[in-house]
Amino acid sequence: MGAYLVRRVPSALVVLVIASFAIFAMVRLVPGDPVATLAGPDATPEARAAIEADLGLDQPLVSQYVTWLGQLAHLDLGTSYRIGGQVSDLVADGAVNTIVLTVAALVLAVAVALVSSVLAVVLDKSWVNAALSFGNTLAIALPTFVTGLVLILLFAVVFPVLPAGGTPPDGFIARPDIAVQYLLLPAVCLALGAGAALTRFLTEALRTEMRQPYVTTARALGISRRRIVLTQALRNALPSTVTVLGIQFGTLLGGAVLVEAIFTWPGLGGLIEDAISGRDYPLVQVLLLLSVAVFVVVQLLTDIVHAWLDPRVRIAGGGTA
Amino acid sequence: MRRDHRSPIVRSLALAVAGALAASVLTACSSAVGEADNGGSSSAPADGGVLKIGSTSDIVPATIFTNSSDSTNTLIGAVYESLVDYPLDSLEPQPRLATSWQLADDGRSLTLQLRDDVTFHSGREFTSKDVEFSIKTWADPVWTVQLQRTAAAVTGFDTSDPHAITLEFAHPLSNVFDLLDMLPIIDSESIGELQEGKAYVGTGPFVFESWTPSSQLVFSRNDDYWGEQPHLDGIEVDIVADPQAQVSQLRSGQLDLVTGASYRDLETLSNDGKFDVTGFEGAAQQIYVGADLANPQLDDVELRKAIAYAVDRERIVDEVFRGNAEAINLPWPDYSPAYDAAANETYAYDPAKAKEIVAGLGDQPVLPLAYPAGNANYESVAQIVQANLEAAGLETELQPTEYSQFIKQLIGGTFGGLWILQHAYAHYTPSTLAVSAYPFNADKNASHFESAEYKKHAEAAWTAKSGTAPEAIESYQALNKDLLDNLFLIELALLHFQVASAPDVQDFTMSKRGELDFRSTYLAD
Amino acid sequence: MSESFIDVAAPEVQAPHPDEQFDQRRRPSIWSALRHGKGLVGVILVGAVVALGLLAPLLAPHAPTEQIAGANLVGPSGAHWFGTDEVNRDIFSRTLYGIRTDLIVVFLAVPIGASIGILVGLVSSWWSFTDVIAQRVFDLVLAFPTLILAIALTAFVGPGLRTVFFVIIAVELPVFGRLTRTSVRTVREMPYVEAAHVVGAGSLWQLRRHVLPNSMEPLLVQLAVSMSVAVFIEGAMSFLGLGVRPPEPSLGSLIRDGVRNMYDAPFFAVGPLAVVVVLVLGLLLVSQALAEARRA
Repeated sequence: MGAYLVRRVPSALVVLVIASFAIFAMVRLVPGDPVATLAGPDATPEARAAIEADLGLDQPLVSQYVTWLGQLAHLDLGTSYRIGGQVSDLVADGAVNTIVLTVAALVLAVAVALVSSVLAVVLDKSWVNAALSFGNTLAIALPTFVTGLVLILLFAVVFPVLPAGGTPPDGFIARPDIAVQYLLLPAVCLALGAGAALTRFLTEALRTEMRQPYVTTARALGISRRRIVLTQALRNALPSTVTVLGIQFGTLLGGAVLVEAIFTWPGLGGLIEDAISGRDYPLVQVLLLLSVAVFVVVQLLTDIVHAWLDPRVRIAGGGTA
Repeated sequence: MRRDHRSPIVRSLALAVAGALAASVLTACSSAVGEADNGGSSSAPADGGVLKIGSTSDIVPATIFTNSSDSTNTLIGAVYESLVDYPLDSLEPQPRLATSWQLADDGRSLTLQLRDDVTFHSGREFTSKDVEFSIKTWADPVWTVQLQRTAAAVTGFDTSDPHAITLEFAHPLSNVFDLLDMLPIIDSESIGELQEGKAYVGTGPFVFESWTPSSQLVFSRNDDYWGEQPHLDGIEVDIVADPQAQVSQLRSGQLDLVTGASYRDLETLSNDGKFDVTGFEGAAQQIYVGADLANPQLDDVELRKAIAYAVDRERIVDEVFRGNAEAINLPWPDYSPAYDAAANETYAYDPAKAKEIVAGLGDQPVLPLAYPAGNANYESVAQIVQANLEAAGLETELQPTEYSQFIKQLIGGTFGGLWILQHAYAHYTPSTLAVSAYPFNADKNASHFESAEYKKHAEAAWTAKSGTAPEAIESYQALNKDLLDNLFLIELALLHFQVASAPDVQDFTMSKRGELDFRSTYLAD
Repeated sequence: MSESFIDVAAPEVQAPHPDEQFDQRRRPSIWSALRHGKGLVGVILVGAVVALGLLAPLLAPHAPTEQIAGANLVGPSGAHWFGTDEVNRDIFSRTLYGIRTDLIVVFLAVPIGASIGILVGLVSSWWSFTDVIAQRVFDLVLAFPTLILAIALTAFVGPGLRTVFFVIIAVELPVFGRLTRTSVRTVREMPYVEAAHVVGAGSLWQLRRHVLPNSMEPLLVQLAVSMSVAVFIEGAMSFLGLGVRPPEPSLGSLIRDGVRNMYDAPFFAVGPLAVVVVLVLGLLLVSQALAEARRA
């Protein structure tokens, strides 16, 4: 295991360092600048010069990059130009909301996938498969912005039983009963695609498992299909499912951008949009780097879990799915 | 993963369904929607309750004094007060923190008597020193306030009496009361925290409690307010960027009042009778088509005239702004001393004439037409303008431009064609517009319009002894002629502010600054 | 969700097992999967949308940008089947022409991205150092969620169809690059290819004779998946205001306009929405049919 980590970790670090440089360069190449956005159309040239000096943007680029890396090394993420607070606070606030939403969606997706794929394989009825396959394809074919708005229209406007958007006013902990209601619509909307994809994958993996010789033997010994699925097949299908799950978590985080926009969920998606449109360099840099870091870490964790569940990978080495 | 060996498949399916139903069960116990709708107590006008407002954009601490967003306006209006207030429909200053004032005969100094019963939220007494500090803060270019030049023209401060102040001016300032109306009196001790968005200390009816960036602003009642006690316990501003989400949340009772609904949604809300839609005539903005004269095509004033004739302003007013606007040629509202009803009709819609002019000018290359991307109103107006110009024989290419780049192009004057944007400040003393709003700035503007005449008239209007002095009126007429003859800005419509609210929200108004005033607001049942 | 199944599709169409590769000629081409069942339905759905798009000039009663005086956001009627929009244009006509925009995205942007990706994948996987570099670059691009990539790219070049193209190419390039690389490596490790190498067969011969034919099927399946993803990307970008520029219609921009008028004109988005769902569904069914045929 240790040797496996030694192989994987450095390459992850390299990606991060390259990313930090690419992001820094990219952010500054974007036309439009933070001073113009901050100062607004009617500002005088001296006002703009004062703001520029205040933000340290009159320094040479190389020294700005080195300063930034130095700050990062000290875990200081800097101060936002536009919003004015500490970048770390802003990101932490947004991240909590995004992670709560993403995890809720992931839990929903996994629950749906487990229940429906196990049902499909255990029952093994053609109508179940057809219904499942239809629901699945539809869930994938409906764009998030469509399901999101239909959900809002149905449950918040026509039958006002759930909030149309926003986060629970008292936080997630104090009133979990209220928090669940705020979470439900965005989480369902976000989970739909991932749930369908996971279901499709898991059903396929279980079916493959059920064609294995040991299943035939077990069946001959009179063990029920259900028992085989729940005790053996599911366990064997797990490693590859975890890999898919890891990828899903990353893509769910990405999909959260749109869902957050639809449900006015104040997470990282809105923050990154604001930061880019305001050319808030410190915030943009950190957020982009964070999204790379999350991807890299999730990939790394997935590989590790995969390796741990499937010793062949550990020995042979090898990449991701 | 579930390993449920005991229950049959059907039961585990039921379990899954139960999971999905859990929410509806919860809804029965305590509904988030029900709890969000925390209307006030029983009878009107009642004390108590928190008013929940939906705002489109967040505050930006670095530009807190530029009226740059609806939540900034709510913050300034709740926490701060100015020396005088203009009523919505006139330019006659009314007392607020100043009780009376005398303008010197030469127009070069102004003495104001101040209230002596006012304290800041920090408990400190409000004195003439605070007026001096506030004006000097506004004169600092870092804050990029509209009236920076006007604030900087206040050169002398006599603060020997804590409850009176005499201001001296570099030259007569016709718009000095505009400055005193717009300038919030700020606390010098907490200016550092103000800059960081950590504290906003004023003298107003509500106390700033907290700000969660891109999410929420919270205010509570100022129990030591010098005026009548506000009824509300507090105000909560939720940042809801999407106008439609604001309407959804108003409908579902999560919000009591929204400031960012689209004109069409406002129309629907007011028609279905369940919500109140309140318009405020007086606080206004103008939408216009700007022309970059650096483009040789647009340098020809005849083409600009053709554009002015070609645009169907009434259609824009009716279809985009749902009648809540007025078609204009000049920026002024009807109570402005510069208002001229006849001149405002100079370029009435005349597609035939526009076509004739364009035909007479020969072949015209395609003109770029920029507007801020992502805004439904700008997008509709731009498409109507494009169709109107096409009918007149002038091809345009729409360029939705990200706001940050749009402002950059506006400052740099690099549009190279036409653009669509809104401007404000025409509802104040006319000289304020001519010396501070960038599109009109005589020294340097995005149109590359230079004219010694225009500059002279703008300066004359500014340095008149008062905004309504005869020499001021005369320079307004000259300015009107400059604007109509040169058409570097082609005005389209004057827009009125509107907000939508739940029926239990009673008695709120808006200042000329566009700030909602909740001093006497209460939540009825 | 828009990108969620780019990656999920990957395990399905992943490295073909070497032993499956040989019998390619013995079983019918995977194209036959499109002649019945799922595949046929998919082809019909896609074909219908394509036909509507191609025939737009014949079927549309109005020009897509024509503003009809007085017809402001009116509901569906005999004159305007889908109603009119907020600047008085016939939504039915705009939907037909909007299909064309999406067809360009689906049948031009995706193949361009795929071709570049395949080329990069083929070339880079031939040497180990270029392989490492390409892998890291692919990692980097894939590390950004599609929509964040879209927002960032739009900051560079402004909104427009061009930006949608860039985003789709940027997203598809690494997907196809990876897939090609996997195929190349699998094929190259096969004993007979190694043997051919020993007897002096050139790299180009190996590519043409073994790598390309064996990579074709997974690439085709991925192409169909990517095409349906492209419809999402166009839609999501238009929804966020990063897509095609007005007054040109696209399915995504029509849906966004419809959503803006959701309370006043609930009919607005229905037509474009149905077309998007049909198009995505069709492409998805095609990709599923191809994938199933490949595994069978």
